[in-house]
Amino acid sequence: MLPFTVELGTGSSVYRQLVYAVQKAIVSNELSPGDRFPSVRTLSQELRINPNTAQKVVTRLVDQGLLDVQPGVGTVVAQLPEPSQRERSALLVQEVEQLVVEARRLSLTMEQVIEAVQFHWALISETQPSRQQVGDVPKEASRK
Amino acid sequence: MNAIIETRELSRRFGKHLAVKNLSMEVPTGSICALLGPNGAGKTTTIKMLMNMIRPSGGRSTVLGTDSTRLGPKEFARIGYVSENQELPGWMRVQDLIDYCQPMYPSWDKDFCRQLIHQFDLPLDQKIKSLSRGIRTKVSLLVSLAFRPELVVLDEPFGGLDALVRDEFIRGLLELSDSTEWTVFVASHDIDEVERLVDWICVLDHGELRVSESTASLEDRFRQCEFTLERGQRLPEALPDSWLQPEADGQRVRFVESDYQADTVAERVRSVIPKRSELTVNRMSLKATFMALARSYRTQS
Repeated sequence: MLPFTVELGTGSSVYRQLVYAVQKAIVSNELSPGDRFPSVRTLSQELRINPNTAQKVVTRLVDQGLLDVQPGVGTVVAQLPEPSQRERSALLVQEVEQLVVEARRLSLTMEQVIEAVQFHWALISETQPSRQQVGDVPKEASRK
Repeated sequence: MNAIIETRELSRRFGKHLAVKNLSMEVPTGSICALLGPNGAGKTTTIKMLMNMIRPSGGRSTVLGTDSTRLGPKEFARIGYVSENQELPGWMRVQDLIDYCQPMYPSWDKDFCRQLIHQFDLPLDQKIKSLSRGIRTKVSLLVSLAFRPELVVLDEPFGGLDALVRDEFIRGLLELSDSTEWTVFVASHDIDEVERLVDWICVLDHGELRVSESTASLEDRFRQCEFTLERGQRLPEALPDSWLQPEADGQRVRFVESDYQADTVAERVRSVIPKRSELTVNRMSLKATFMALARSYRTQS
């Protein structure tokens, strides 16, 4: 099993999707610094993707400083500089846009959407109290 | 490029019908290469020539550095081949077939074989004729992988397999990536089956090679583009050759740029249509790229 969530869809290339999924997992703490990162072979076999693609993904993430290759240990998640608010909210742009489109389709007001977000925020915070806030959703929504 | 398969002007005629026309292509060593094309495009004919099962009418090909018309037991001990209509001896039990195949391959890996048997959940004591199609395909794959071939050739391997068996099949195939040298050449009419797996694509259309290129290069080269014409303006008749499937829906114009370059794409549009809205440019999946190509062949012919 892979230590992070990824669901490969169609649309964009496997390479881009996987790089994004790992970035998201690292920035949102699903993967923490020091965690072992799966080998190219494991990535390829678990996701049923081309090993050369898996290799390219790992190389890219190492280049970006998100992964560290430690001789004798393997690949581990690197210690990150604290991600900026901007980087965090960038992760959400697509989701927020979908939310706004769906809300408009249902003729909801922005207040109703914010209320729903707050409700779910509280719901998740109860089970995962240590999670840091991710992005500034209402602001993002109002800009659209 | 180090090519494990190489063809030069390879052709095959069946009576009056030219099934494969002057095919010149190379499959890079270490790639997972898909040979794509609709049914009847010449994929199986090509593979049969490569595997020395039929003679070419013209041209030549080499596989593992050997002229394919001279391929013999020595080379076949390094090639795993699975086809859709593979015939297996129905009267044998699965274990009998394994025992029968093993001595033919010096590189047979018993541990790997055991691992695959377990992974494919194969009934060793059952006769092959009593097995379902999916299990039979897995048996074929097992005896084609257990000797860790340098080249795996698959002809429409997924036909009629359910999603779970297909998944097991691909997983089994990827087990080979442990081997130092391995190349996969897989013929398929369905890009969906191989989209995630391949890093090189050859496209056959009516026996002719249309594309032979890495997926990375295809991803760089193709973009879905869209813009809006100003009111009263119409799309000119003559458009750049690199635009596939230009279509106008009212004032909206959409096309696939097959020669995308970030710095020149807008300029090229401006030279054809000076007045228009901002151009939107989107990346395309391999599938969308393949579909755009396939449709463009249809309009050409």
